[in-house]
Amino acid sequence: MVGRKLHVTGPRSACPNHFFRPQPPPLTPRSICFLPNFVYKLHNPLRCCRITRFECPPRQVAPSAPRRDITAEFTEAASKLRTGQLVKDETFTLFEAVGALEIMDSKMDSGYIAPGENQAQALEDDYDVRRELTPEEVVGLMDQLLCHEMAWHMGHPLSQTLFTSIYLDKLLSPVPRTMEDARFDRVPSESTLVSLVLRAYCLAMVKACDYVHARVAVEYYYEEEDFVTQLYNRNLLSVFDGSHFYRLLDQAVAWVDEQKDIDKKLKDAIRCRLLFRYDFLAALDQDLDILETRATDSFTACLSHLDELKESHSLGKSVPEAFSLKIQRKLASTVPPRPIVHISHEDALAHSKRLCQDAIDIVQILDYRGPTNFKTAIWTLMSRKPQPSVYIRCLIQALIVSDMTILGAVSVKQFLFDDLAELVLPCSILLEANTDDVELPSDPRFQIARHMDGFVKRFAQPFVDSVRCSCLNRCRVRRTVCHTVVDWDSLQMEAEELDLQLQALSGEPPLQIGGGEPTYSYPLSSWAYHQKLTQLRLILQMGFELAIYSPEELPGMYWYLSHICSTHLGHLDRIRTFMVAARRRDLTSTSNRAADASRRASAFHKSFRCLERLTTHLIAVDAFAIALHALYVLLARHKILPSASGSDAYSTDKLRYEIRMKPFLPISLPELVPFEEYQREATLEGDTDSTILERASKAITEARKAWEATLSLGAFIEDPSVDTQTPATAIEADWQRNIKDTMRACIGASIAIEMVKKNLSTEKKLELQVTIAEIGTKSRWHDWWSVPQVAQKPAP
Amino acid sequence: MMTMDTDQAVQYLDGLIGRQLRVHTTDSRMFVGIFKCTDAERNIILANSLEYRLPTPSAIQAAADSWEKNSGAPSATIKVNMTHRLIGLIVVPGRHITKIELE
Repeated sequence: MVGRKLHVTGPRSACPNHFFRPQPPPLTPRSICFLPNFVYKLHNPLRCCRITRFECPPRQVAPSAPRRDITAEFTEAASKLRTGQLVKDETFTLFEAVGALEIMDSKMDSGYIAPGENQAQALEDDYDVRRELTPEEVVGLMDQLLCHEMAWHMGHPLSQTLFTSIYLDKLLSPVPRTMEDARFDRVPSESTLVSLVLRAYCLAMVKACDYVHARVAVEYYYEEEDFVTQLYNRNLLSVFDGSHFYRLLDQAVAWVDEQKDIDKKLKDAIRCRLLFRYDFLAALDQDLDILETRATDSFTACLSHLDELKESHSLGKSVPEAFSLKIQRKLASTVPPRPIVHISHEDALAHSKRLCQDAIDIVQILDYRGPTNFKTAIWTLMSRKPQPSVYIRCLIQALIVSDMTILGAVSVKQFLFDDLAELVLPCSILLEANTDDVELPSDPRFQIARHMDGFVKRFAQPFVDSVRCSCLNRCRVRRTVCHTVVDWDSLQMEAEELDLQLQALSGEPPLQIGGGEPTYSYPLSSWAYHQKLTQLRLILQMGFELAIYSPEELPGMYWYLSHICSTHLGHLDRIRTFMVAARRRDLTSTSNRAADASRRASAFHKSFRCLERLTTHLIAVDAFAIALHALYVLLARHKILPSASGSDAYSTDKLRYEIRMKPFLPISLPELVPFEEYQREATLEGDTDSTILERASKAITEARKAWEATLSLGAFIEDPSVDTQTPATAIEADWQRNIKDTMRACIGASIAIEMVKKNLSTEKKLELQVTIAEIGTKSRWHDWWSVPQVAQKPAP
Repeated sequence: MMTMDTDQAVQYLDGLIGRQLRVHTTDSRMFVGIFKCTDAERNIILANSLEYRLPTPSAIQAAADSWEKNSGAPSATIKVNMTHRLIGLIVVPGRHITKIELE
């Protein structure tokens, strides 16, 4: 270099390779182009854009654009401004200005180099990526990288995790054009442990991140809430085929095996880490292919390595100097500098373990065994605590529906029709008519089919979304349902219109119920109402799970839950009445052939069973809610229920009720209970303590029985006619645990009721102490059931 | 250069709004972005900015090496691109500005 003149060129767009290349815009989630004529846009956050921090690339400068020094003019002009006077772009607001990063401020400016800091050292660490590493250091580095990888999976940005690694920085910047280019330094290290083993590990890890990134980025997730997809204008080797990485890992393993002078334990530790990378890469590589392969061996193999990774962790020697925050100075980032995120190796392994286990269990949801079973399996898997990681949740979203197909096997239309058949329309002409069989437009069947196609267009998306919604994070699930339930209200009204047209076409005879006016079954709107009631219940129950309600609200919220349940039960009764009538008509109709008769009988049987299951479950929820409502009313009445707000707080029951019910205001059915009525019902006005106690005891006994019955019905509807490749044993176990936890909560509630009963009969003033166990503690038996623990007040 | 009064000053600065500026700072960095806003202290807000920085010695060495490798002979002058990255919306405090250029 000595004696050479150095000519540094500035930005030149003539050399496009060096110009900023924008990140590809976030891919449009496939379902946005899902049903072209779809009008369902209201409030559905699933369809809203995510907030991203990408900004448009700057206008390209013409290569020979003349440049003019305007320092003097500018300075003079600026000096003429009054203090506080601004010259600004009309569209530019001060609000935006607040978001600007301040250059030369160490807290804001990631590129800031402190005075006195050596320019070269500030950007490039002295760390030599070619230096020889001991096997201990290699193990330490691999473990640290795994921690960073898992921290990224947990939602931390790459800039604070993997991209702090100097090794990765060297691999990925400048962007390698060939696999050969992707190395730590131009001249490979002489240490094979570095140039082969560590490199293979790092590359395979980056590729694994690439697969995860590719999957998550196209599904629904919340940027910075669930996951950060920002790559800072780097590339995760996405252009290179997976085979390169397996080959490299194979070479690395083979080399390690040959080594004689590395300690056996360390050799095994390194080998195991390489194998883990191999299997993890293969597992993620599979992605949606699992629909075809049903293979879980890669994830199972990953799991089997985890124990060894844990045991051999102590052999490693950490190399903290191989990670640096300075790399943030080189990343295209519109955020201030942030510290490196450190998670423990234990936490990283625990996260990988859960990820692998959840991924293995995914295979159990892949057999389509009817809509009810499908929905139960998804919901149960997604309700695992801790919730499956974002990668798993995104993978399941894609499995639930891609290319208009459920689980890659059933069309969305079929899925919707199966659900309708199960709940309201077994063997109905409405679902069986199609324009292929009947081509005469004047034939009612032709018209029915046309109407039903319209129904599918309108309802398939929201219906599938209501299943897919469970893949969001838990807070977002509730929030999303709060919005979609309003949409379902208008959907129900549309369904009613359709019902009116269809009942004329199908010639459905009306039914007289309880001596009232003759009425029709309204199957489609009944089905929609059922969906809506289910969602309303979910909103309430998730409110308990997310600890939204304060203790003083508990009596009212459990009353409301039981109110929704009893409304729902009444609705199911109505559906059942019409189904019984339909079955009776079906039996008397003469056109049935024997073969067809048995098919019809089994379809009706299935629907009745489905209704029975729903009813049993609702009775159980209802009874438990009634019991807790009564118990909480007593506690509130005797002023021993803890309260979150102080006595002089500006909050009243009325205001609180208004806020709680706000999401439901636009809903026309079920009608919102007016506050006065709610107040009367929720406080059991006019009932004596003993009446209420009696009510609580009776209800809890009934609840225990009903939960027993629910448990004995099992998680899934057995259907011997369906071929099951993979029984959902793990998911069934989760489901059973959930019910058993509910039963435990029931027992807890009976004990509390007994305690109150004992004390009420003996003394006037209740000397009891009430605690409500928080979510996640051992004495909170179930997230959805906030059961008070009642104990004698300790003597003063 | 003629002296301006306040109206002219505002007019002049207003004419620059939306143009692309290169702002050099005391620490030898350069920022290229769309001029959005300024004030009496010459604080400058740029949108969609790129940060340019002189290459590090090792990058220069690398460029020199690759030059030698490709051309087979050492050269007296080599060209090295400034390293740059997108940093978005920034405010450059007036006291740190050494030079302003208009593209």
